[in-house]
Formats: sequence, structure tokens, C-alpha cells
Amino acid sequence: MTFTVHDLISLSPVLLIGVGILATLIIEMLVKESEKILGWFTFVLLLSVAYLSLILLDHTALVFEDKFLTGGRVNIFFFLFSFGAAVVSLLSMEYIKKAGIHFGEYYIMLLSSVLGMMLISGATDFIMIFIGLEQMSVCFYVLAGFNRRNERSLEAALKYFLLGSFATGFLVFGLGLIYGAVGSLSITEIVIGYETLKTSPLFLTGTLLFIIGFSFKIAAVPFHMWVPDVYQGAPTSVTALMSTTGKAAAFSALIIIFSPIIQAAYPSFFTPVISVLAVLSMLYGSIVAISQNDLKRMLAYSSIAHAGYMLIGLAAWNEKGVSGVIFYLVAYTFMNLAAFGLISLIEKRDLRGTEFSDYKGLGFKQPVLAGLMALTMFALSGIPPFAGFFGKYYVFLSAIEAGMTWLAIVGVISSVISVYFYLRLIVVMYFDNSDEIVMVTPSTSAMLGIMISVLLIIIMGVAPGSIINLINSTF
Amino acid sequence: MIPIEHYLFLSSFMFVTGVVGVITRRNAIVVFMSIELMLNSANLVFVTFSSYLGNVTGQLVVFFVMAVAAAEAAVGLAIIIAIFRNKLTVNLDEINILKW
Amino acid sequence: MNLYDIIFYLFAIITIVSATFVVFTKNIVYAAYNLLLTLFGIAGLYVLLGADFIGIVQLIIYVGGILILILFGVMLTNKITDVPIKSGVLQVIPASIGVGMLAGILILIVTNISWRNMELTVPESTIGSLGMLLMNEYILIFELLGMLLLIALIGAANIARK
Repeated sequence: MTFTVHDLISLSPVLLIGVGILATLIIEMLVKESEKILGWFTFVLLLSVAYLSLILLDHTALVFEDKFLTGGRVNIFFFLFSFGAAVVSLLSMEYIKKAGIHFGEYYIMLLSSVLGMMLISGATDFIMIFIGLEQMSVCFYVLAGFNRRNERSLEAALKYFLLGSFATGFLVFGLGLIYGAVGSLSITEIVIGYETLKTSPLFLTGTLLFIIGFSFKIAAVPFHMWVPDVYQGAPTSVTALMSTTGKAAAFSALIIIFSPIIQAAYPSFFTPVISVLAVLSMLYGSIVAISQNDLKRMLAYSSIAHAGYMLIGLAAWNEKGVSGVIFYLVAYTFMNLAAFGLISLIEKRDLRGTEFSDYKGLGFKQPVLAGLMALTMFALSGIPPFAGFFGKYYVFLSAIEAGMTWLAIVGVISSVISVYFYLRLIVVMYFDNSDEIVMVTPSTSAMLGIMISVLLIIIMGVAPGSIINLINSTF
Repeated sequence: MIPIEHYLFLSSFMFVTGVVGVITRRNAIVVFMSIELMLNSANLVFVTFSSYLGNVTGQLVVFFVMAVAAAEAAVGLAIIIAIFRNKLTVNLDEINILKW
Repeated sequence: MNLYDIIFYLFAIITIVSATFVVFTKNIVYAAYNLLLTLFGIAGLYVLLGADFIGIVQLIIYVGGILILILFGVMLTNKITDVPIKSGVLQVIPASIGVGMLAGILILIVTNISWRNMELTVPESTIGSLGMLLMNEYILIFELLGMLLLIALIGAANIARK
């Protein structure tokens, strides 16, 4: 195995974060009260990883004996993961102090989960996808239960862990069947043999089990039962991380697997499976979210619905669909980061205060926070001119182009339903009043994170064309 | 010689047993053991195909899966013990402040 | 029926019976000990399949590591004298439909595929070739596993401490 300088340069985002994790470990060990500097250290590290991934966008390389791909679309995912996690580290700094979990390990886990995500998105091999996914999931299990004196946090961790490893079981068994059919787990081998494989029951069952395993990770109905509990119980900054970049990582794996396979042969056996998952997730998520009284729980159901919209792009399966999904993922990431960031500011010390009733009259008491929250809710519900609208627009357009207009129609219906519960929060904030005085003095770091996210939502809404062109240029 | 079906039947049986265990049992540790059964059945599939195809990669994957299972076991049992310390139970029916 | 077949059926019966016990016994300590038998039976099957290295690793990691962890978990969270565990069944109908479909599909594919060109080719020893693969093609994954185990260690210590 030989390395060239070019290989090392193109691998540098991954190497940097790997070195960063070890550096964090050492700082944590040697420096007293290290948690005070680790937050900013993590932020700067992730920001430089994000910057590196962007400037290396056209630095395509296959490294480690063709086991890892960098450049192009992969680097867009690198950017999304590291930038999203950088915003999360901004949101976390004050929040974990408030929640009483101010430990250096928090940042180690955060960085390692980003490493896992990056491995998934660059994989050319099912084994790498599996290892990356596990690295990410193990970090998330720990982070979800990080507030180890809080029953709800631990319960979320337990549920996440049990259902997550259950999904892993399906995933590995599916991989075993795929291995039996193909004789290898490399995606290029599968593409080469796809003509004979697409009628092999062994391969199809294996892939089906694999999709079931992944549906748990992306939170698609009927494999969503862990989502509301975990998103509600986990510390809010952690929920922000796993609902955005974690979901993006799982989608990146689906994109890697299916894009070469489906280019080889269309229409695929899996299109109906994915369409059914999409329809169920959209409708179930939007309808159940209406009856929720807890904001974090409502956003959990809305994240199920968003997974459904993104699955439309995968079901349509054309280039527009894929770039639409990537655009949607970026938009969704920053919308959710802003929303969870604001929730984490308003949340009380005992981790209560996430109910709708706690937001009564916020529009008068905290006009800035309420305004930002209203803007985020508009964006999430897909009202133009914010990012959420164009995400949906690109995805639905790809479905219509693929001749699956019915899927787009279901998507539009479900978006209309979802407007109700997003706007309900705005009504509560501006038209209800309560005497309870909530005084929140937002910290600089958290406000910075929220402002970055909101700014990106607006930019993506005003100039979606340039971003979709950037994504398209990486095919 | 044992035909490959026998091995595959054995692992399918174990896999389904594991799934039944996860769905029906309500003790967190038993659920975890059922998940280990599922992972082991998957490993058996890999080794079976590896031997019958004459290809070592499958055994390598088993090695990786075992390492991952060990990592998961460490984290999972830590979570189970922490929750036991808080609630004095590991029964999933009683762990439901959040609706299941 | 030669010796190989007899040994195979012996291990297969051990595995099946103990796996059933793990899932259906009411006593959690019995479940853990039956898991030991299952893991042991599978290690035997690995050796029969010619995977000597994996067979040994199975004994070291699963029996020596994970099972001990599980036993610690059992003892820290239960009184050792027989604790009846509730086996309340959740969502019987969808669960049984799902499990039935899964079992049906698996049986169908195993019986319907013609496996005639699959012959058991027992290699001499797999350690050498596994080592070459680990140190060349899969070096990145191998290194990352080290990272994963380190992170799991830190995380577990962080959650389990008082």
C-alpha cells in the first residue's frame, strides 16, 4: 500500500479530526478545568475541518486500497457534519453547564461521533459503513445518557441503545446475506454483478434487512418508535446533534449504496419499498405531531416526517432527487439546529420548560428569541422564502420528473398538515399571555450558534440556486 | 458432508429466536442477550459463506463485528447499571416516564 | 454419517436448545448461563467450518469478555436467587406478523436457492491470510476499531460512575 501526498491531503479532514480527538483526550487529562477551554477548542477544530473539506472539494481520491473515497459529494457531507457539529458545540457550552453535565468527555464524544459520520459518508465498502455507523451510534448512546443523574436522560439512552443494537442485528444479518450472494462487501463488486444479483433472492432479502436496519437509524415509520422518547429525554444539545447530522450521516450511506446500483439498473426493486416508507413517515409524523404538547417531542415527530420527505428524493432516484436530498439535509440540519438551540436557551435548570405552555407570551417578554423561533418554524413548515421550502421543492420536483406524481402529492398534503403544528407555536408565543416571567439572558456562544443557523436558513432560501449548483457540480 | 442449508437454517433459527426475545422479553438484560444472539447468528452466516465460498473476508467481518459487539456491550451495560442505580429496576415496563 | 456430521449435529443441538432457553427461561441467571452454552456451541461450529482463528476469538471475546460483562450486569441489577422476570408481551399481533414474515422469508430463501455449486472448502489455517488482510487492505478499519473501543471505554466509564 503506497501513499502519495495527494492522498494525504485529500484525507486531511479525517486525519485532522482523528488527531483532534486524541488532542482533546490529552488536554482533558493534563489541564485543570479543561472543560472551559475544550468547548472553544472543539469549535475551532470542527470549523477548520469544515473549511478544509470545502477547499478540498475537487480533490477526489481513493485511499487505503480503494476503501475510502474523498472529494466531491463526500466533502459536502464532511462539511455538513463538521459545520453542524461546530454549531452544536457552540450551543452546548452554556447548556451543559446549566444541565450540570459540564465534563470534558462531552466534547470527546461529540468529536468521535463526527469521525464516525465522516467514515460513513466516504465508505466504498459495507464494512466501513458498518464501522462508521457503530462509532457514531456508540457516541450517541453515551451522549443521550450523559446526564446520568437524570432519569429521563438515562431512559432515553437505554431505549436508544436497545433499539439501536436491535437495528444493528438486522443490519449485520442483512450484510451476511449480501456477502453470501456477492462474495464480497465492496459496492463496486455489487455494481459489477448487479445484472445477475437483482434476481437473486439472497441479495434482495439481504438488502431488505439492511434497509430495515437503516430505517431505524433515519427514523422512518414503522421503525420510529424510539425517536420521540430519545429526542425528548436526551439533553437538548445532544438531540440537536443526533437529529441533524446523525440523520444526514445515515442518509449519506443510503445515497452511497444506492446511487451506483440504481445507475446500473432502473427501475429498482426497492423503489416501492422506499416509497411506502416515505408515505408512512410523512403522514404519521405530521399527524401525530399535532397532538403533542412538548416542543421537543413535537420536533421529534416532525423529524420523522422530514425523513419521509427526504425518502421521496431517494425513491424518485434521479440526479435531481439525490441533489435535492442533499440540499434538504443541509437545510434541515440548520433549521433544526436553530430550533433546538432556542429550546435549549429557554429550557430551565431542571430540564423542564419545553412544553408549549412554557412559551406563552414569549413574543412580548423575549422578542428576539421569539422572533428567531417564529422564523425557524416558518422555515420548518416550508413557507417560502426560507430554506425548508426549496428543500421540499427540489425533492417533489424530482418525484414528478420520475413519474411519481402521487408521491409528491402526498408530500404536499402532509406539508399542509404540518403547517398547523408549527404555526401553533407561533400563536402560543404571540397571542397567549401568561404572568410567569421567564428571564433568559442568552450567552454569546449560544446566540452565535443560533445566528449562524438562521443566517444560513435565510441564505439558502434567498439563493438556493447557487447551492444546488454547487451540489450538482460534485456528481 | 453437511450441506450449507443446515448452517443457514441454524443461523436463521437463532436470528428469529433473538428477534422474538427482543420483542417479548421486558428485562433490559435479557433483551440485550437476545440482541447478542442476533449478532451471533449473523456472524455464523458470515463464517458459513466464507468457508463455502473459500473467501476469508467474511471471517474478517466477523472479527470486526465482535469488536463492535464488545464496545456496545460495555456502553450498554454501563447504561443499564446507571439506570438501575436511579430506579432500582431494569424492567422495561417500569421504565416509562417517557411513553414507550 | 461420519464423525464430522455427528459433531456438527451435537453442536447444532447444543446451540438451538440453549438459544431457546436464553429467550424463554424465566430465570435471568439461567438465561446468562445458557448464553454461555450458545456461544460455546457457535465457537465449535466455527472450528468445524475451518475458521480456527474466529473460533478462538469467539471464546476470548464473547465468552471471556462480553458474557462476563453480562453476568456482572445480572448480578449488579438482581438478587442472585431466582428472580422471576416478567415476560409481558407487547403488541402481540404486529409482532407475531413481523416475526412470522421474517421466519417465512428466511426459510423460503434457504430452501429455494440451489446451492449445488457451494462446496465446503476447508483452508488449512486462516490466521495468516486474515493477518495479511488486516494489515493491508483493512488497516484503516482496524485502526478505527481501536478508536471505537477507546471511545466506548471512556463513555462507559463516564456513564457508570456515581
